[in-house]
Amino acid sequence: MKLVVRGPEPVAAEVKALLDRRAERARARPRLEEETVLWMAEFPVGEEQYAIPLETLRAAVPLKMVTPVPLSPPHVIGILRFQGQIISALSLASLLGGRGWREDPAVLLVVDPGVGRLVALDCEQIPKPVGIPAGLVEEARGRSKGAVSEIVLPGLRQLNLLDLRKLMDRRAATGRP
Amino acid sequence: MNDPMLEQLVAGFVDESQEIRDRVVHQVLALEKADKVDGQSFEELARGLHTLKGSAATLGLSELADLAHRMEEVVLPLSGATGPLPARVADGVLRVLDVWMARLRAVAAKSEELPDLADSIALLQELDQPAAKSRPASEAPGKEPARKARSTKTEPAREAPALETDGPAAGDEATWRVGTRRVLALMREVERLRELRLRLEERRREMERALAQLSRLGILTETAEARALLMGVSRAVGADGEEASDIIASMEEGLKAISTLPVRTVLEPLRRSLRDLCKRSGKEAQLSVSGAELSLDRRVLEALQGALAHLLRNAIDHGIETPEERAARGKQREGALSVRVEQQGNTIFLEMSDDGRGLDAEQIREVALRKAIAPAEELSAMGTGQLHQLIFRPGFTTRDEVSEISGRGVGLDAVRNQVQALQGNVEVQSEPGRGARFILTMPAEMGSSPVVVVRCGEHRLGVPMVAVESSRMARAKDLQVGRTRVQLLHRDELVPVRDLGALLGFRQPEAPAEGQPLLVLKWQDRKLALGVDEVEGDRELVIRPMPVELRHLPAYQGAATLARGELVPIVRPDWLVNLERRGDAVLGSTRRALVVDDSLTARALHRTALESGGYLVHTASDARQALEQLRHSAYDVMVCDIGMPEMDGFQLTSAVRARPDLDAMPIILVSARESPAEGQRGAAVGADGFLSKRDCVSGRLVSEVAGAIARRKARV
Repeated sequence: MKLVVRGPEPVAAEVKALLDRRAERARARPRLEEETVLWMAEFPVGEEQYAIPLETLRAAVPLKMVTPVPLSPPHVIGILRFQGQIISALSLASLLGGRGWREDPAVLLVVDPGVGRLVALDCEQIPKPVGIPAGLVEEARGRSKGAVSEIVLPGLRQLNLLDLRKLMDRRAATGRP
Repeated sequence: MNDPMLEQLVAGFVDESQEIRDRVVHQVLALEKADKVDGQSFEELARGLHTLKGSAATLGLSELADLAHRMEEVVLPLSGATGPLPARVADGVLRVLDVWMARLRAVAAKSEELPDLADSIALLQELDQPAAKSRPASEAPGKEPARKARSTKTEPAREAPALETDGPAAGDEATWRVGTRRVLALMREVERLRELRLRLEERRREMERALAQLSRLGILTETAEARALLMGVSRAVGADGEEASDIIASMEEGLKAISTLPVRTVLEPLRRSLRDLCKRSGKEAQLSVSGAELSLDRRVLEALQGALAHLLRNAIDHGIETPEERAARGKQREGALSVRVEQQGNTIFLEMSDDGRGLDAEQIREVALRKAIAPAEELSAMGTGQLHQLIFRPGFTTRDEVSEISGRGVGLDAVRNQVQALQGNVEVQSEPGRGARFILTMPAEMGSSPVVVVRCGEHRLGVPMVAVESSRMARAKDLQVGRTRVQLLHRDELVPVRDLGALLGFRQPEAPAEGQPLLVLKWQDRKLALGVDEVEGDRELVIRPMPVELRHLPAYQGAATLARGELVPIVRPDWLVNLERRGDAVLGSTRRALVVDDSLTARALHRTALESGGYLVHTASDARQALEQLRHSAYDVMVCDIGMPEMDGFQLTSAVRARPDLDAMPIILVSARESPAEGQRGAAVGADGFLSKRDCVSGRLVSEVAGAIARRKARV
């Protein structure tokens, strides 16, 4: 039997560059116990994990309490009542530009995007709280100009941090996510 | 009056008396204008005065009881007459009623300066002379006036009978002063209760589902006890929910009574003011009112009373011409004044218009220059609309002399200040020779409007009652169905017919079926027969604004909550009737897709993807609804979820393929599971493609759909 020494499989230059950047960020990551931790609510959208600051989350309510409104834009699922107000229920996957999903969302997250009103975003699962070093969050936010910042956590787990205000502002300004 | 109990009773009596006084004023005005009156109308008028007399006497307010008695004495001899109320009697009763109320308020406020009644008594004595009353013609011959039977001798007021059973009971409830914040806080609590009621209903549905699952397991004997218990709890939760709905409705009714007022309470007094102003100015005018049935925020309405009075005075003094002048201009001798009140979302619109001489922009410019209201260069650059707005500046008046009615230049700026104090806005529109229109816009936190609730497809929607002329069933003999439009013969008039579902873009337009409910709408002189699936009834609803994300939609006035907690979008009548201003949602798109999915989110996502691919998308939440839509409309493709209750995607595909007319329509099945077996089963029942929901990223669904359409075309 002839042994064949296997090296790294060939990858495209841009993929390699991306992996190198991720590895570099992972190496440079400061130790968790020395850093302030920011609490986030983490949830899946299709194959990807997303997170929003925990303090923006007001409630999780069943999606069944939504009234659809004919002629509304596609990203608006409908309206619902929350603590005496009428708020919009929005499709997060649609806001993010049309993502696939694994299971039909059954939960709405009522969030305060910091634009003077509450909105509800659909969600496949009830979010779980996760602590993320503040430095990582700041660094990710500094890198991204859009509504989504990519964070790489230990174990090279990728998390997409949502800036709800930017998501809402961009939708309002351009009609597109 | 040092008795605290009596003080409370008198305070309550003020409110009651105001209501009776308003009613009496309304009756006097109607009787004075009427050509022919019902013989009992004068007796009804006297009854109101009699109630005032009795209640005042009961509270020991003898001088007020006496005055009411004297008014009654003036009116009672007219019983049975069928001619109008003589103008002198009407004048006298109205003037004395004002003094009566002023005196009662002064007594309640423990004022030391009570309005003197001597002039009023003298006036009534004068009117009580037979000649003064100049009894209306056509009195029923031989009929003895009711007065003779009841009071030929002067009945001393102090001996007035006890309260009549049908009259208001004086002082049976004391009044409380409650802060606005407390009322608003209570309203929020009711809202929370309503949300709780919704959750209760959801719990009941979950229990029903659990019961159904237990039954499906087939172990009926083993689970009998658990199922019986669950069934009992489910029924009890249902009953509790119904009771909670009743309590919520009752609490809302109570809060509404505290925080809102019917608009008519501020509009009706305007009729009286108009009458007095016309008498003084020698002009003639008729007031028409629209929206009097609304109930609006009490604070707003009370604050607006003064502004309305100013606008009315302004219209009579500056707008409406003398009868001779109007006749010379080819107008009716009697001027037309109208007040329209409307609430859209949390905005109140109040419009007062007249058909008088309108605003003269050049005269406004000259006056503004003379009174140094604005610099000459600024004035010369102003357009007509800007010049019109100058009439709201302090001190502005086009009158050189102060008249009894206006001309002091304090009217319209006071109106603006009052409206601005309510965070509102006032604007004026005018055409010379054709009249002026003042539009007041104010925010309102409270208020309710009558709404007709209808069902259309899976949607429940509200149509403001103010726009609904009538409702009826569609009958083939009354419908004229053309190639491009359908019209309804309604009361000798052809009215365009539209389907609400088609207008709202969720189904194809088609002529109404036999017996289908139609709402005949009338709004701003336009009519429309609106096809709906069911008219559920009318409700008094609080309309709230749509959330920001939907506020740009011109179709909606806002949304309201039903007693069970469900939200109902309220459609704007002007959007419905202005057909030519709105493009038909169906036109302009060549490819149509039907998305069938029980998940709201999935429907939204498929719509996002397909609309971005240029498709017009209709949706259905279950197979039954999809089949119904396919019966009426043609689609280029159907995207259908597999996992739906009752009838799944495979069964729907089979049902569609069983119809020869739909055999060529491509069907894409979508599943939450990535199962090759499901794909194969889909192909076996006639589906053209299969995608997992994970694959439904933007672009993939559209390319799959386009591919399926192309494959079908290639086969033909």
